[in-house]
Amino acid sequence: MAQLGDQTQAQLLMRDMGLTSQNIERRRQIVGLEPQDLARIAAVKDLVLGHVEELTAVFFDYLASLDESRPLLNDRVLRERARQFKREHLAAMVQSDYGPSYVEQRVELAILYGKAGLELRVFLAAFHHLLKAIGALVLKQFEQSPLGGFDHFISLKKVAFFDIGIIVDVIVFDRERVIRQQQDAIRELSTPVLQIRERLLLLPIIGVIDTHRARLITESLLKAIRANRAKVVVMDITGVATIDSKVANHLIQTVTAAKLMGAAVIVTGLSADVAQSLVALGIDLEKLNTVGDLQGGMEEAEGMLGYSVVSAGTAPAAIQT
Amino acid sequence: MVVLSDITISIEREHDIVAARQKGRELAARMGFSGTDQTLLATAISEVARNIVSYAGRGTVVLSSVEEQGRRGLMIIAEDHGPGIADVGLAMRDGYSTGGSLGAGLPGAKRLVDDFELSSTVGTGTTVTLKKWLR
Repeated sequence: MAQLGDQTQAQLLMRDMGLTSQNIERRRQIVGLEPQDLARIAAVKDLVLGHVEELTAVFFDYLASLDESRPLLNDRVLRERARQFKREHLAAMVQSDYGPSYVEQRVELAILYGKAGLELRVFLAAFHHLLKAIGALVLKQFEQSPLGGFDHFISLKKVAFFDIGIIVDVIVFDRERVIRQQQDAIRELSTPVLQIRERLLLLPIIGVIDTHRARLITESLLKAIRANRAKVVVMDITGVATIDSKVANHLIQTVTAAKLMGAAVIVTGLSADVAQSLVALGIDLEKLNTVGDLQGGMEEAEGMLGYSVVSAGTAPAAIQT
Repeated sequence: MVVLSDITISIEREHDIVAARQKGRELAARMGFSGTDQTLLATAISEVARNIVSYAGRGTVVLSSVEEQGRRGLMIIAEDHGPGIADVGLAMRDGYSTGGSLGAGLPGAKRLVDDFELSSTVGTGTTVTLKKWLR
């Protein structure tokens, strides 16, 4: 059952990382795997297949010499699975088929390394020792023509670097997961909708608006309009440095959606620079009700709702008594 | 034309667009462009970088400080190996979009800068070159 769970985990991860067949094809191009490499790999296939056990031992013996790999090696279950994966890896490495199922095996192994807390530099060192051992075998077979031996080894090395690329990406992607989660949290925190008065909301937008954030802004605004039965919303974009056509489109859509829910939107804080670039872009903002600054926007909104703010000094005498 | 310095930014995801326009704004400020021109340049970079993400998936934006006939300027080259644009004339028309956007990207970017060049071959890719000169 655990096996099945991990397999789906590898497939899910491949999807999240964008490891599609197209991406895999691109990775093969990047390391420069060409038909002639496949021919050379086929020529040393039997040699590698004949030494799978020995080569697996080289990898794990080297790991065993390092304290850093204890977490992996001390756990019997993880260790045995890693060994089995490595045997399968060596066999698959020389089959000349480096498509999605090969990549899935690599991802599976990387997940296992991640689980065991195997550091990247430790893995790389052990992998280097494995490659050295493979290189020694290949050169021995090509004793008569060392140059040919070198070419054959380099072809295999391309596959090795293709593999390393995947393993590194999986481990880095896993680490970045924390950063992504924090980013999501910040995004959500950074789109507050504030109620200023009965039926009046303030939506201050600061920083970069991307597609994801624009969607969040729209969502939280519409929810707040409903919850507060708001009639007027002041959207302040003083803190947005650049508005391109896509972001402008998002803003227009948000305003339109708010209108459909019965709330008028006043946009404030459009800087002179941004105004000029929007005009140059040819974006029609006629639909937007814009007011120069936040103060002006608040005054207009209060007027629309029938509030009038009076300074205490000039308040009617009746209230002063 | 002499290129004095250049920075290459690879564009693949939405946050690369942000990085590209921030770099552009920094370079423009260093070169002595006014605040308004910095914003116009950042917006232009945003448009061409966004086109790469939306239509080609992957590409590069090169920002360079250039000199020609005694004047200095900022040059933006956005290049991709995507599907290319079949009808350049149509793509440059306001309000035309195959991607469900406002259709303001390319014609808008053209109005944000002084020089604009677009070359595209279907199946090979697209290169957009923008230049804005210091006044």
